[in-house]
Amino acid sequence: MRQHSIVRRLLADPASALGAAIVALFVLAAVFGPALTPFDPNQSIYESVRVPPSAQHWFGTDHLARDVFSRVLAGARSALLLAGGGTLVAVLFGTAIGLVSGFRGGWLDEVLMRFFDALLSLPALLLALLLLGTLRAAYGESVSAIGRGLGVFLVLAVVYTPIVARVVRSVALGVRGRAWVEAARLQGERLPRILLREILPAALPALAVEAALRFSYAIFLISSLGFLGVGVQPPNPDWGLMVNEGRRNLSQVPWAMWAPAVTIAVVVVGANLLADGLKRALMERDLQREKDA
Amino acid sequence: MKRSVSTPGRAGTLFALLAVLTLLLVACAPAAAPTDTPAEPAAETPAESPAEPAASGPSGTLRVAFQPIVATDPGLISSDSEVFVANHVFDYLVDVDPQSNIAPRLATDWTISEDGLTYTFTLAEGVTFHDGSPFSAADVVYTFDRLRDPDGGLATASLYGDIASIEATGDLEVTFTLTAANPFFLYDLSDNHALIIKAGAADPGDFNGTGPFKVVSYTPEDRIVLEANPAYFQAGKPGLAGLEVIFFADDQAMVDALRGGQVDLVLRMSTALFESLKTEAGITTLDIPTNGFDLVRLRADRAPGNDPRVIQALKLATDRTAIWQLVQQGYGAVGNDSPVGPLYGPYHDPAIVPVVRDVNAARALLEEWAAETGGDPALNLVLHVPDSGGRPDLAAVLQQQWAEAGIVVEISVEPESVYYGDNGWLEVDLGITGWGSRPYPQFYFTQMLASDGEWNEAHWSDAEVDALIATAGSTLNEAERVDAYRQLQSILASRGPVIIPYYFAQFGAISEAFLGFEMKAFAGRTDVSGVTLAP
Repeated sequence: MRQHSIVRRLLADPASALGAAIVALFVLAAVFGPALTPFDPNQSIYESVRVPPSAQHWFGTDHLARDVFSRVLAGARSALLLAGGGTLVAVLFGTAIGLVSGFRGGWLDEVLMRFFDALLSLPALLLALLLLGTLRAAYGESVSAIGRGLGVFLVLAVVYTPIVARVVRSVALGVRGRAWVEAARLQGERLPRILLREILPAALPALAVEAALRFSYAIFLISSLGFLGVGVQPPNPDWGLMVNEGRRNLSQVPWAMWAPAVTIAVVVVGANLLADGLKRALMERDLQREKDA
Repeated sequence: MKRSVSTPGRAGTLFALLAVLTLLLVACAPAAAPTDTPAEPAAETPAESPAEPAASGPSGTLRVAFQPIVATDPGLISSDSEVFVANHVFDYLVDVDPQSNIAPRLATDWTISEDGLTYTFTLAEGVTFHDGSPFSAADVVYTFDRLRDPDGGLATASLYGDIASIEATGDLEVTFTLTAANPFFLYDLSDNHALIIKAGAADPGDFNGTGPFKVVSYTPEDRIVLEANPAYFQAGKPGLAGLEVIFFADDQAMVDALRGGQVDLVLRMSTALFESLKTEAGITTLDIPTNGFDLVRLRADRAPGNDPRVIQALKLATDRTAIWQLVQQGYGAVGNDSPVGPLYGPYHDPAIVPVVRDVNAARALLEEWAAETGGDPALNLVLHVPDSGGRPDLAAVLQQQWAEAGIVVEISVEPESVYYGDNGWLEVDLGITGWGSRPYPQFYFTQMLASDGEWNEAHWSDAEVDALIATAGSTLNEAERVDAYRQLQSILASRGPVIIPYYFAQFGAISEAFLGFEMKAFAGRTDVSGVTLAP
């Protein structure tokens, strides 16, 4: 019943509904896209080089005669896997660290938070470049495609864990003195149980919003890394990589740059609208509850 | 209430939207610019030309877009732009014309002894340096002694290692004596660095040359302004009153400046940009074939490349014409797996072509090899590629074509500094390397394909090839050399360790306001001293 009301609140707002629809479409594209591509995304179609968008090639073909629509569709899966996976890991680690740090306080909290402050003081893209550069120096240029994907995944987790941890910690700090937490403690409940049963539920709304936001920024960061040529390797249909390739051939095949660029924009804005709507729905629900109480 | 709740979230969305829009705008800014700029410089150009009345002497200033120069000392220059500037401030002893023939410059005539060991040059009369001092044989001796000094730290020392002595045998006569006959000696003398500087020059980089243009001002990272040298020894040159080299970081900006009328000449640009200029009014586009190429090579000294069947399979799996059409858009020429490009006159034999693509034959060869040696018929190699030019595109197309023969390669695109850094490119098994156009082919053979070549990137060693390279590099009999190069081509086409899918084209674009422009295969050696302003 409670879940149902959140979904209903979410869909009642047109902007949030649009965001949810975009994200849903994106997830569908990621799951089924590679099977649905009309052409092989990495195969040149020699008889249609650099053709503009048409009925046959919806987004045209690029400078190497590859179908741009197929490439955009095929790129959805790696974007979702990397952004979703990276966000998930960041949320898991961030939540665990944030809960412990916020509830225990003291020197542990100080040490963790100052370390995270240091990480957060670096712009996300800079930190990501630094980490990828270090990984590459350690494992050489010739790591496999999976290795590079894992690198991006790892970088997302490292970059976003501190942000999630801070959000969860602030909630934990706020509720640790509340009566129901004190009661649980006096009952002699053990730490993990208190954290999971008493504090985590209070942090869930903020966490859901944070996860959706991180997800949208992760897509942006992955595309930025691909654009800079340090993420996934060509000829993989990575959106950022496609924008960069398209940029070099912009004067001849502008559609090859516009298609992935607009796709990134739409997905990032969609995920943001969803996060926005989620936040509002959760807060309205809480207000309603307080009123009821 | 609702408003105050939603505000922070809206701001976040708005921020993300702005960030995305910024990215889009940044990405498309260069393309958007040219459409709205022409109006402004159009007002500027006519105001400039009437200011210089058609009085006696040259008129007009040619503004050339180039990457910034760093070195100005002729002994240290290397980039296109550095050579271009130096070539207009200084003079070569002998030059190379657009057809790659040796042409006179400061030396008006020369004789070569029967044994090919003694070269005597007659120098032009009445030549002066920009500081007013006269030019003589002593300056030539000084220049080449400096370039060949083994302790001087200049890259040319090994090139001129075969010179026994250089003497001024007259005020305007110089004699070079060699330790061994070198059929390419005149080409060596026309090396990019061999610009004549003043004897005893304290700073060879201070632009005191004999060339057609004098330096007025040089602002590093911005531009270098030159004016005609009225005392230039060649009649009718230079044809322009001034020359300006304006520095740009990338070819997109250069082309935009040409479209907008801020520059008149752009040399070297991507194929896509060149294509986009072809329909532009008021601009003449030029493309010439060159002998430069990208090559794909497999190390031949260890598995899997040490079995000739493997390289043969790669050759069979490659469709050179399709690659040339796709990556070079049909500019330049289809490659034939040998560095003897189509511009080398009699040395190049167009009848010698590599095997025709046969995917099944390639697969069969690999399976046979795998069964015998226990290797992997898919090879599973990493293809190392520098991130410049059309090389990443070449890699992507090769990956597709080879996949049809069951060959799996993974592409690793690396910044040029990483690819060439620490000689990593010589270490890897499978790589793509770009080689610039040279006026004669011997360089590629001694450096890249001889067993002891400094850049023998394929680690190939073939006694027959070594012998042919030695013959081509030493014989004074031209027919013998032609024969050696043709034999080398057929060996390379049938069993060499390199695949050369295409020879590049050299692109240029110049404003229609100028006449008499001729481009060279090495863009930096392009000489504009004969260019004039259209009446």
